[in-house]
Amino acid sequence: MKLPRLLLPLFGLLAAVATATPAYDFYICANINRNYVIGSKIVTTNGIFQRTDEGGWRHFGYNDTSITAVAFDPRDRNVIYTTALNGLWRSLDGGATWRICNGWDMTEGREVAVDPNAPDHVYVAFTDGIAVSTDRAQTLVRREHGLPERGKFTQTIKVDHTRAGRVLAGCEVGIFLTEDGAQNWRRVHATTDTVNDLQQSPHDPKVWVAATQSAGALISRDGGLTWTPFSGVPTERALYNVTFDVTNPDRLAIGSWAHGVLTTEDGGKTWTSRNAGLPENPRVWRVGVDPAGRLYASVFQETLFHSDDFGRTWHPNDLAGSLVNYFFTLPKAAN
Amino acid sequence: MKASHFFRSAPALLLAVTLSAQPSFEGPAPVVTSVPAEDQRLAAYHARVDEVLQWRAGRVDLNNIPGTMDMASISILLTLGRDIEACNERVLQMMAEPGTGPFWMFPAVCVAFTGRELLSPEARASIREAWRTTRQLRGDTENHWVMYYASLYLMSELYPNEPAETWYTGRSSEENLAEAREWLIHWMDTTTTVGQGEFNTTHYIGEYAIPMLFMATWAKDPAMKQRGRMMLDWMFAELAAVSLNGVLRGPNARSDEGSVIERWNALASYFSWLLFGNTPAPQHYGGWGLYFAPMAKNYVLPEVIHRIAVERDGDYVQRDRARTRRFWRYSDVLSPPVYKTNYLRHDYAVGSTQGIVNDVIQAHVWDVTWREEDPRGKHPTMFSLHPHSSGRMMQAQFATHPEPMPVGVTFEGKPSYDSPDKVLGGSPYEKVFQDLDTVIALYDIAPGERFEHINGFFSKDLCDLTEDASGWIFARGGNAYLAYRPLAPYHWIPYLHYKGGWAKVRDDLGGQVLTSPHLKNGTIVQAAGADEFESFEAFKAAMRALPLEFKLEPVPSVRFTTLRGKNVAFTYGETPVVDGVPLDYAKWKLFEGPYLNAEVGGRKLTVTHGRLQRVLDFNTLTIKDSVRE
Repeated sequence: MKLPRLLLPLFGLLAAVATATPAYDFYICANINRNYVIGSKIVTTNGIFQRTDEGGWRHFGYNDTSITAVAFDPRDRNVIYTTALNGLWRSLDGGATWRICNGWDMTEGREVAVDPNAPDHVYVAFTDGIAVSTDRAQTLVRREHGLPERGKFTQTIKVDHTRAGRVLAGCEVGIFLTEDGAQNWRRVHATTDTVNDLQQSPHDPKVWVAATQSAGALISRDGGLTWTPFSGVPTERALYNVTFDVTNPDRLAIGSWAHGVLTTEDGGKTWTSRNAGLPENPRVWRVGVDPAGRLYASVFQETLFHSDDFGRTWHPNDLAGSLVNYFFTLPKAAN
Repeated sequence: MKASHFFRSAPALLLAVTLSAQPSFEGPAPVVTSVPAEDQRLAAYHARVDEVLQWRAGRVDLNNIPGTMDMASISILLTLGRDIEACNERVLQMMAEPGTGPFWMFPAVCVAFTGRELLSPEARASIREAWRTTRQLRGDTENHWVMYYASLYLMSELYPNEPAETWYTGRSSEENLAEAREWLIHWMDTTTTVGQGEFNTTHYIGEYAIPMLFMATWAKDPAMKQRGRMMLDWMFAELAAVSLNGVLRGPNARSDEGSVIERWNALASYFSWLLFGNTPAPQHYGGWGLYFAPMAKNYVLPEVIHRIAVERDGDYVQRDRARTRRFWRYSDVLSPPVYKTNYLRHDYAVGSTQGIVNDVIQAHVWDVTWREEDPRGKHPTMFSLHPHSSGRMMQAQFATHPEPMPVGVTFEGKPSYDSPDKVLGGSPYEKVFQDLDTVIALYDIAPGERFEHINGFFSKDLCDLTEDASGWIFARGGNAYLAYRPLAPYHWIPYLHYKGGWAKVRDDLGGQVLTSPHLKNGTIVQAAGADEFESFEAFKAAMRALPLEFKLEPVPSVRFTTLRGKNVAFTYGETPVVDGVPLDYAKWKLFEGPYLNAEVGGRKLTVTHGRLQRVLDFNTLTIKDSVRE
């Protein structure tokens, strides 16, 4: 399969990470203000953090407790998008200054994604649907044709790296697909509760996985057209997110409040609970894997834990009291 | 007209306040039965405003500025023209660490405007700079957005023609102004056509009234200034019409653990005290009430509203519509309608909402509340509810996963949300019907719900509580006779009181909770005035004689002839039938009653008392007063 030119560095990088000096940037969106409520004084630093070469975390951008996701323009790392309580924010100068991109008619942004093959195009998941920009979020319009009038709470939105304008969205009533830049959506898989996360495999872009509230975890091997459940993954409680391990195509991890961390190392045939070493009743908010294969688990109101053996042992990381809403990896920016 | 003792003594009161600064919340309860002449009315209002200003200014210690000066006291000192240097110092301190979100924004606006002629250039610049450097969260509730956009509107007007990079939004003054104006008008349109989502709130009323007063006072655009003034009339007219002797009782779109029981102890009572003078002020004027005081003299309560609050011709029914907060999930409609019934008499009032759960955490759906001459410390109310707690309902109204919020909100000012003995909150398993002073609440709780029982609140202030062999529980509350009929077996547990939403401990002040651990359940409450019967025993006998049939399977269902002679049939999940006629909620108006009337979609409220009438017309942004012949 021919990959677009913009993506070649990413996949090349990911294939080489196990042996080369890590040449990537790793970001999280974290809220480190335990029990913050609207009106409280923020006494800690929250928002986007980039991992430093020394293994610490460098904050940049606004101190915002509500950031849910971050995305970058692949052409210019200084162009940053975040979703947050107010909606969508954009910075053109590496996070020094920001502009709110939506009006009052859009609120509570859940996730933002930039089309790597059409980088002016930005897709945003909101509590009541989906909005799209074709001009780097200077303007933002709803594009919901094909979404249901009700049931379009959208928790997650991801752009297919292989084709411009091909996007999958996880909504209250299922997984929706557009292949024309959100001009038209169609439901490719129905659910009774929210689809919480969608991920495209870095190893095989035809493979997608989903984490859902009440239908367990799902896999698609045809680019998101059809979905089947992973056997062995519980369905009775919500799964919050799912992630690939970019260093190993057989490894995936799931984060869940009720089930903690679940991992597979055989491509989803079997799943193992990996909670030993995490706090009791771990209440995992999100899991992530960095391009070196280190597995992270954000435990609600505890701290960020990491594991270098894919969940067999855990170690407290930094950011006590944190809640990591998002893990994000990018090829290291050119100096 | 005979002026009340309170109003006749207003000048003396003002003098007393000035000399001794005894706050009203520590003084005797006012007794008000009529509205005095206009000049006396205004003088008394100004005296109360001055009392607030002097009280708060008097608590400032210039030797302890950080510990005694908040943005309310700065605004008040600026309004009084006092201690300006201390205000400058404190503003600089506070703006070095700005807050985030609407609860910081509107106090900052209050300081910015009261200080725009008085604060030093450095202090003013520090306020302006905070609006560049600190991201402000818009929040996720209706009251958050009113505070947020009113604040952004006013600051953008105060600093016009300034570029995008000077605002935290990254937008120019004109862009901010346009967005804020658009939303504020949208909110007013919604409120005046299909009702508020946060209606009759015991505390959040301040979060609406204060920004609207700011708009009415400081907006440069005459149309927005007028809108602010009209919205104040609109909200205070509703407060006047549904409060009992100044006390806002249920139903409430949102309340808290304290004021749902100690009904008077709410910010709403501050506005009743300040505007109507008919109930004691809450302690420290309710906290947020301090932000209304600096500009309060720019608002004059219309006489017609004042009369509704204190001079009522007799018993009345007010039927209104409102809407729920937004349902992001699990609903066919974003904000379904809510139907309100209020029946007010001299000694008690009965109120309820019918329809879907309007707020999953803090809704208070129905109660009977009786009058107490001094309501402080009293728990003058009776009701039942299903203590519902679920992640799914949280997900319906919040962008959240199912697990975190039921426990999480208990640390966010809603301490009882996940408690089995709670007395606050709506449930999807409760259906309510009200006719005059009869309420029937039916419950059909799904098996496996977190709490499979219902709670009935029985106050420490009830007298002569009797569990009658007939199945009725009888009691007296003030001058009201009360009959409570549980439809399933029950037992009693102690009631433990939270003083408010942020209380960390519960106090055993007396009172009981009737707990009935049955999924199919129900409550009938009938109230009556003590003056209607020769004795309490006569009331009991009358109640025992009323025809009553009920069954709980397959769903709870009641046929009851009320004390007022209405034949009522009500089955869970079905339309109530009164004297053979099904209720048609679709025909309910936005407001319908002797005092307030408005059509759905009309943008126009007619406020009437006796010969006085005021029409608030948001179509034309006009206020028309008239005296009917």
